[in-house]
This record gives sequence, C-alpha cells and structure tokens, in this order.
Amino acid sequence: MFDLLTAFSRRRVPAGKSRRAAWLLAAGWAGWIVLALASAAEAPGPLPANRPVEQLTAGYVSSATCRSCHPGNYASWHASFHRTMTQPGAAPKFPESLDRLELTHDGRDYRVEHVGSAYQVRQRVHGGATTEYSAPQQIVLTTGSHHLQIFWLATGEGRTLVQFPFAYILAEKMWVPVIQTFMAPPEFKNIYTAGEWNAACINCHTTQGRGRFVSGNTFDSQAAEFGISCESCHAEGADHIAQNRNPLRRFALHLGDQRDPTIVNPARLKAQASTLACGQCHSIAAFKGMEEKIDLSQHGSKFRPGQTEMPQKFILQPTTDDHVAQKREILQRNPNYFSDRFWGDGMTRVTGREMNGVLASPCFKGGEFSCVSCHEMHPRAGDTAALAAWADGHQMTVSAESNTSCLQCHPKIAAILTAHTHHPAESAGSSCYNCHMPHTAFGLMGALRSHQVSSPSVRETLEYHRPNACNLCHLDKPLGWTAEKLTAWYGQPAPALSADDRELATGTRWLLQGDAGLRALTAWSMGWAPAQRASGRDWLYPYLFTSLDDPYAVVRFVSWKSLQSLPGLGDFKFTYTTEGAPLHSAVQAGYQNWWRTMRAPGATFPAGAGLLPDGHFQQDIFVRLLRARDQSPIFIVE
Amino acid sequence: MSASNRHLRFGWWSLFAYLSLGLGLEVLHGFKLGWYLDVGNEMRRLMFTLAHAHGTLLALVNLAAGLTLRFVKDLVLPRYASFSLIAAGVLLPLGFLLGGIQIYGGDPGVGIVLVPIGGFFLLYGVGATARAVTRAKAD
Repeated sequence: MFDLLTAFSRRRVPAGKSRRAAWLLAAGWAGWIVLALASAAEAPGPLPANRPVEQLTAGYVSSATCRSCHPGNYASWHASFHRTMTQPGAAPKFPESLDRLELTHDGRDYRVEHVGSAYQVRQRVHGGATTEYSAPQQIVLTTGSHHLQIFWLATGEGRTLVQFPFAYILAEKMWVPVIQTFMAPPEFKNIYTAGEWNAACINCHTTQGRGRFVSGNTFDSQAAEFGISCESCHAEGADHIAQNRNPLRRFALHLGDQRDPTIVNPARLKAQASTLACGQCHSIAAFKGMEEKIDLSQHGSKFRPGQTEMPQKFILQPTTDDHVAQKREILQRNPNYFSDRFWGDGMTRVTGREMNGVLASPCFKGGEFSCVSCHEMHPRAGDTAALAAWADGHQMTVSAESNTSCLQCHPKIAAILTAHTHHPAESAGSSCYNCHMPHTAFGLMGALRSHQVSSPSVRETLEYHRPNACNLCHLDKPLGWTAEKLTAWYGQPAPALSADDRELATGTRWLLQGDAGLRALTAWSMGWAPAQRASGRDWLYPYLFTSLDDPYAVVRFVSWKSLQSLPGLGDFKFTYTTEGAPLHSAVQAGYQNWWRTMRAPGATFPAGAGLLPDGHFQQDIFVRLLRARDQSPIFIVE
Repeated sequence: MSASNRHLRFGWWSLFAYLSLGLGLEVLHGFKLGWYLDVGNEMRRLMFTLAHAHGTLLALVNLAAGLTLRFVKDLVLPRYASFSLIAAGVLLPLGFLLGGIQIYGGDPGVGIVLVPIGGFFLLYGVGATARAVTRAKAD
C-alpha cells in the first residue's frame, strides 16, 4: 500500500502529463461539487396564493423523505386512499367528463371549462343569459378518490375554499349534487359553506393541517403534507432521520431486539394508544374548549401517535359521564347531534368513526384489541394488483377475511363453531362478523359493519330501532321468529312482542316503517348476497322498486344498486337524483317493466312479506305500515 | 501456476458464475417473483443487480490483468496486487449478493460489509497494476 501511495511522487511519468491529469481530476471533482450544491440550493417555485399549501412545520419531513429507507411501506401507503384524501391542483386524475360539464342544482347553473392544466367553474342563476355567468373560480383541490371525488374552488379570499356542489361517483361515472351523496333530508340543498374545508376538513384530510383563520372568512391554511401520510401515524420524522443517518445505529437496530425510540409504530403500541393513532380521525370527537379549537387551527394538532389522549379533543361517547359541560353545549347548538351519529344505546351509526365502537366493545376491554387486530396499513403482498385489492377492501389483514381474527382470542369457539352458531360451518351464519359486527353503520352511500362488537338481540330492534344481525340476513322472518331462536339457542329472555312483530317480515316493516337510516340499511341488505340467499329474492323486487321513490336520495341510490344485484336487472338504468313527477314516472315504468317481462310466474313469497300470491302488495298492510313510517329527519354525515 | 494463468482462470470462471447469476435474475423477472420484484424488495433487487454487474465486470478486469501480464513486456505485478484483484473479484459481488439475501427495508443485510473491503482491494489492485504497467513501460 505504501508503495502505491508513494508511487506517483516518484514522477516516473513526465511532469507535464501528470499535472494535466491532476487538473482534469480536480476539475471533475469541482464540477460534481458545484452540481450537488446547485441541486441542494434549488429554490422552490412560488407557492400558489389561492389555496392551502404544503409547508413543513417543526419536525415534519414528508413522505418523500421516508421513501428511500422504507420503499415497501411507501408503496403500500401510496396505493392506499389515505394518500389521495387531498390532492392539490392538477395532481389528481380528473374525470374526463369534467371538461365542458354543465350542471344545474338548487336554482343555479354551473359550467366547467378546461383552461391550460386547470379547470375553472362559472355559475349563474338557472336559465340566465350566457353573459350572466360569474367570474371563473379555479378547482384547486380534490378530496376523496375511493368512492367519490369532491372538488374545491378558490374563493379569492386568501386560501379559503368553497365546495363545488357536485360530486363524481367513481363506480357509476356519475355527477350528482354533493348533498345527495349524504343521508340528508330532501329539503337540504347544500352541505358545506365557504371556509369549512379550511376550518374542519383540513384536520383529517391532510398531515398536520393548520386551518390558520385570519379574519372574516379568510384563512391562510397550510399542511405538512396533503393526504394522510407517514407522519400522521408515525409522528414527525426529523429526529428519526437524523439519528438513523448513522449506519451502525441502523444495523444495531436491525440485528437487535430493541425498538427504535425515535419513531412510533402504531402496530406495536398497546391497544389504547394504537387505536387512538387511527382514532384521532376515525372517531366522533369534540374540542375540549374554544381555546383548544383556536390552538389547533393556528398551530395544528398537539396529538402525536403513541399518546393515549388527545390534548385538544376528546372522544365523544354519548353514554359516558365525562365532559358533561361540553356535551351539554353541543346539544344546545344541535339537539340532533347524538341521534344523527349514534343509535339510542350509544352505538355509532355513521361510518368512518370506528373508534367509538371499538372503545365500547367488550373485546377492547381485554386490553389487546385494536384496529390492527383486523386491519393493516402495510401488507406484505407488494404487487400492484394485490395492493389495489387490499386498499379497496378496507385494508384488512389476510386473516381478517375469515374468522381467524376473532379466533385469536376465542380459540374455544373454533372447536364448537356450528354448535355456537347453529348454522353450517361454511355459511354466512357462521361468520363471526355477520353476527357480531353487522352492517348497522351508514356512510359513503352504503352500509358498513358496526365496529362495536356485540351480540344480536331483538331488544336492540325494539328499543333502538337498530336492525339486529339475525334479521339483516333473514329479512323475510318476523322479529318473533328471531326472538324464539335467540331464546332457544342463547337463553335470551323472551321480549314482549306486538302482532306485527310476530307476523310480518322485518324487511318489509323496516323498509316501509323505518326512519331513513333504517330504510337505507334495509335496502342495502336486500342487495347483500348472504341476505338474498337466506331470504330469497323474488319478494325483494316490488319492495326495492317502491323504495326507489323514497324521499331521501341516498335511499333511492342504495335501492337502485340492490335492484341491480337481482337477476334480470343488472343493467337497470335509473337516475336517483331525479325528484318529483319525473321520479314517480321512472319508478312506475321500471316496476311495470319488471311486472310484465321479468316477474317469475311461479314465484313464492314469504308468509309475512305482505305480498299476495300473484306478487301484488297486500294493500291494507302496505298502507298501514307506510302511514306509520318514522318521519324523523335523519342527517348522517360521515 | 503463473500469475497470468491464475487471473485468466479466475476471470473466466468468475465470468461464467456471474453471467449465470444474470440468467438467474432474468428467470426471477420472467416468473415475476415478488421476493425479487416487489417494490418493498427493491433493495434486494438492487443488491443482486449490483452483484451481477460487479461480478461480471471484475471477471473482465481479471481477464484483462491476465492478458496484460502476458502481453506487456517485462511486467512484474506485485504479489499483493494480484491477490487484491482476485480478492476484489470475490468480495465485492459476494458482498452485494449476501447483502441482498436478507434486507431491512432500505438497508441491505450485513453481508454488505464485504463490499467496502472488496472496494479497498480493488483500488489497491488496480492502482498497483497501473503503476507496474507504467514502470514496465518506463523501463
């Protein structure tokens, strides 16, 4: 080695050549250094002034920095809909039909134009002259991308946004008023006012969002990153990155048993902290006070994954005796606040707020049950198709697709499965989820499983008007039948039942008599394959056609989708947003077409379904139930 | 065995081994094996690719060294230089190969520690060979 180092000093090559080579080498190195410095010092372009912007705040580094060391986790996050919760400017994939779109809603015409790489919206009073279109408002942000895409317009007041009043339903390739994607009374025409994204949505649609109210209706909103990215669940990563630049530290962690204390991994936290990492957004929560609300708006959330409580908010459970003053104030402002979000016994009835249900579950009280018992954010399967299926399927673990998740803690049930369920082992009736986490929550235009693990009872239906798990499958059976089974199989006390409870099919009663929430869940279940197998299909047609005429747009949508699941109606066309006479005509035409061309001549109907042998409604039952319909306004906003 | 023959023999066998590895990698591509191709395993893919590339290139370097010894008149390659070129041809690709078998997200396995050692041998071997060639020419 010494020979090598001293070789060149002996000047065995001509001095001129050696000097030239040295200069070339030095120039090459200098070039590299200049290039590296130039790229490091590259100034970012000016920030857009008309919309919220990405600005890293103390300790946050963004997902782009995490990518190089965690490519697999980055890929699974990138495939998830958490990433696309908010996308700025031209980043999202816009529907093709957005260009030159013309729509009317609530007395106003909207026209979308494609200008350069941006879309802009003009509006006028419905039917006005072309010259009456307002100044254009640019579409600057998109939220959603799984089921729906929602678009946000610049208002010109700082970074304040206002919602474009139409949503795009991806599966249907259909533009509809945003309000008609929610469970909202028909008299409601709009949902969000200018500034609501900045004041509220930003908190859970971005990473470390700060609404930053300025004055009037002006916001100067910023976020560490648009969408829900790495640091939402793992906390800020600057220290983690600084410390792990040292390869010896990294390999000590790889090869040892010690956890890295510079970063949070929710999958390794105790149940309470792990659940709250998800529940910081997936919960019904309220601010502890106005001071905390202002603090969050100005400086962002003080909650960090790993903590067991949110410093500025609390999880709002209607049946617990905490935060009494705040709950009273909430009810004073909105008397329906609890009833729009919870069933009468405190079980959550809205989707996307699963932590409230998890907290109330007996499983959670065992201390180990959390979101990651069934869901995973970074699956092992890494190819594009597998990741897409995982993202679309509620980000479940592979084992959660069967009874395995539950049997982790209830192994004895596995040995006596059919004795416990009284259903064949491979049937839907032997699925833990179907009985203990039935579809009693509603949102995003569909039903979702309750995340409060519970056992079915007739009482929940009688007292709280919540569909019980048994009858969500056995829609053709009366409550009396269910009560008998639950008494015989599980020793539940026999409840006092009315004549209708004993005789009429629950599906019929819920669809005609129930409030809009119950009607939506029933119509959804009528399209659910296990329920169709258990209850039969022939009797569902007339009821689902009737339900197409429901005053709630979203009930009509669900009924239409369930009808499409029935034989012969796969391509049945229906515009669920239509109202008034055109709606009645469309429903009549659809029903008559089915009656004439598709009705099975030898169809038999369940005894309590309220249908005559020829398929006509038993008018006395039909009218009586319809008159007794629960007309309470239901407003479920996920 | 002469140094020239040693380098030629090592070079050809090494070339055979790492071209075979290249073929193996093509097979992994062909069958789209997630263990090699999934984005979460991109470090493994990088390591194996580097093992293939370095192994092949260093085989050629050894072949070049063998031929240089044969064709440059009066060339005397120091024993350590010859050893270093062969050691580099073993350690560098092997380090990448072992580093790719067990990976830790964006980090390779501990086998990667062989790479800087191999790199050191390579630098020394090439430097010493260059110097020897220069001296032979100058003399």
